[in-house]
Amino acid sequence: MIELVNVSKTFSDGHKALKNINIKIDNGEFVFLVGPSGAGKSTLIKLLLKEIDPDQGNIIINGKDVTKLKRREIPYLRRNIGVVFQDFRLLQEKTVYENVAFAMEVVEASPKEIRRQVPIILSLVGLSKKSNLYPSQLSGGEQQRVSLARAIVNGPSILIADEPTGNLDPDTAWEVMKSLNEINHRGTTVLMATHAKDIVDAMRKRVIAIENGTIARDDKKGGYGI
Amino acid sequence: MKIRTCKYFAKQSVKSIWRNKVMSLASIGSVMAALLVIGIFLILVLNVDYLAAKLESQVEIKVHLVDGLSDTIIGEIRKEIKGLSGVKDCVFVSKDKALKDFSESLGENSYLLEGLEGDNPLSDSFVVTLEDPRLAPQVTLAIKAMSNIENVVYGKEELEKLLDVTYFLRVGSLVIVAILLLISVFIISNTIKLTVYARRREIGIMKYIGATDWFVRGPFFLEGVLLGLIGSIISIGLLATGYYYIARYVEQQMFGLLVISLMPFQEVLKSLTVSLLAFGVVIGSLGSMISIRKFLKV
Repeated sequence: MIELVNVSKTFSDGHKALKNINIKIDNGEFVFLVGPSGAGKSTLIKLLLKEIDPDQGNIIINGKDVTKLKRREIPYLRRNIGVVFQDFRLLQEKTVYENVAFAMEVVEASPKEIRRQVPIILSLVGLSKKSNLYPSQLSGGEQQRVSLARAIVNGPSILIADEPTGNLDPDTAWEVMKSLNEINHRGTTVLMATHAKDIVDAMRKRVIAIENGTIARDDKKGGYGI
Repeated sequence: MKIRTCKYFAKQSVKSIWRNKVMSLASIGSVMAALLVIGIFLILVLNVDYLAAKLESQVEIKVHLVDGLSDTIIGEIRKEIKGLSGVKDCVFVSKDKALKDFSESLGENSYLLEGLEGDNPLSDSFVVTLEDPRLAPQVTLAIKAMSNIENVVYGKEELEKLLDVTYFLRVGSLVIVAILLLISVFIISNTIKLTVYARRREIGIMKYIGATDWFVRGPFFLEGVLLGLIGSIISIGLLATGYYYIARYVEQQMFGLLVISLMPFQEVLKSLTVSLLAFGVVIGSLGSMISIRKFLKV
């Protein structure tokens, strides 16, 4: 569960990125975060990952107040939140399999667990047959699904996707959305920041619209809006 | 720490050293140069200490007697010296024997003393050895108080001079060593900086996945330690080889002529290995810690 209570963030240049935000997202929800560039979507994501701290308010993830976490506790917060980005951020010198296995290696999973878990996750995102290829040999959609696999391989309860389809053409974007939906159906909470109006309209999921640092709209089964 | 984590650290750090071959070589070279100088100073200090200790244990008091004493009086003086507390032995050296020894010590140049047999300028003397070298001043005073004594000498001045030399050697080496250490630390930290830069994408991903700080830093830290260690091992090898041949040469060429002998090879090697390995590890870890702090804000 994610809960933001009266969260405000002003950057050092005086820009008020978020003003008194209140959001509550239950376990297993699929939520779109929409709004114009610079409205505060990225700031919200950075707050959830504790890359930055809010000036005011509390952020509670799975019952823990993130704003009160110590520095050395941050890695354990992040192990519970998978992230994918617009630019995939894959390691080019590693194969698909190795990229996903890498995520388990850095949290010190055993080789046995890695050998068992990675193929399961790759088949979930439909890349079993491409596990020995390098990212440069894949399409954009496939690369994004590798990064999805990497984000969920350690079994986080929350998946944050920051414009995951931003670099993709409509067809491959839908492949990624299919995988995201699949992941959500397995019980993972998905929070996706996006500009893709057609996707948001077609999926009929909860939509939170942020404008000028405030919540403009929060619809249970909404569309992108204007 | 898990064994596979150690393996991962080892693999990553060796890979980085290999990837930045030129900078790694420069780091190893600078550590080696610094440790060579430190090692040379160490060898010098060790040997001077060794010599001082040896001289101290060999302290003997030379008692020169007034010329022309009868054998009875000499015998009485001998008895009196032997009676002093702390005196181990007291050996009489006649002035003829002293001249002979002197002439022998000159070897080929002994002709310089020819003609002195009839008019020996040296004096009869006693060589007094002590149970404890620290008693030397006390015994010297007691002997000086006796009659028929011309003068009493013991190797105090030489010992003190030697200890002065050690002092300057230590202070002087400290300054040079400090400068060289700083340079090596700086070069290592630069090498690590390159590795951090080359792996910045990977580091970013690791942070998002939830790698702990020490897991991210481990390979960089190990890389610095390895560079320091390799540099120190090379310098130990060079110094040990050099010392071995010098010690052998000194032994072959000068043994017998000088009272001085070099510290045994084994002992020097032990001290060198322990201290230079420690220095190498310290330089390496300092260097990597600096760049980790500066360039790896995780």
